[in-house]
Amino acid sequence: MHLHGEVTEQLLVSVLDSFTGKIKQLPPVRSHVKRQEREREIFYIDLLEIQGKDVLFRVGVQSGTYIRKLIHDIGQKLGAGAHMTELRRTKVSHLSEKDRLVTLQDLEDAVYLYLQESDGRLLDFSIQTIEKALDFLPKVMVSDTAVDPICLGAGVAIPGIVRLDDFKAGDRIFISTLKGELIALGDAVLDSDKLIKMKKGIAVKTDSVIMLPGTYPRYKRKDIGSQ
Amino acid sequence: MGLPFENVKRRTIVLREEATDSGYGLNPEERSIEERLKTGFILLDKPPGIRSKTAAHIAKKILAPLDVTKIGYSGTLED
Repeated sequence: MHLHGEVTEQLLVSVLDSFTGKIKQLPPVRSHVKRQEREREIFYIDLLEIQGKDVLFRVGVQSGTYIRKLIHDIGQKLGAGAHMTELRRTKVSHLSEKDRLVTLQDLEDAVYLYLQESDGRLLDFSIQTIEKALDFLPKVMVSDTAVDPICLGAGVAIPGIVRLDDFKAGDRIFISTLKGELIALGDAVLDSDKLIKMKKGIAVKTDSVIMLPGTYPRYKRKDIGSQ
Repeated sequence: MGLPFENVKRRTIVLREEATDSGYGLNPEERSIEERLKTGFILLDKPPGIRSKTAAHIAKKILAPLDVTKIGYSGTLED
């Protein structure tokens, strides 16, 4: 944030503090959403560094908060005015800068080392599993016998479920094997506490299938009961 | 101090103990790089000044020699 005039640290701290909690925000003229005032929550603002009129801070916000606008509004309240000079996302969902963040240059080096020097370490570091990206979703883990039908688009039947996280009807679900592999994504039909009391029926409607059919065997119906 | 979801502990319900056949599938942590190039994910430190779309396009070109043909992106920022 670059301030347009002199501001005491004391005033800055108190104004930044006043922006935590629920705030009203009008999306900027050039935005991807309708331009009407909306409420967003600011979870925290941590002042990190002041260098003359340049202020570095860390802010945790609800999704859909415009930071450029937030800084403009902070500037108005300070009286001096302010604008955003730089913005860096350090966290989103369960992922942060500490989770194997790589640059395009790293990626280029990784490919070079892998192909030219048979050194796969950097590539190995750079390319993570799809499961890691989706780790924020509630999981439903199913029996080996239930895997192939789901790969073919079947919903998750209640008897096939071995363990599950808490969720509500309509939630996006990570449909997983017992080994933790992503089979497919789906939408919960019921709340998890309701479905654990049921013996049959469909718990999750399968939507996008990631695992290829045939990864797990197609069990015959008679085998399923005897397992 | 943190974000709201960081303080929520997810409850897992175990309905039964059941083994999985080690003859099929594989723990994601043991998945080969070749497999991860088919379905994987990169946490990319995008340089300022270029669009996310451009960054994804460059990443696709970089990975093309490894037969990567499709790349998408998500979690980007409108400032």
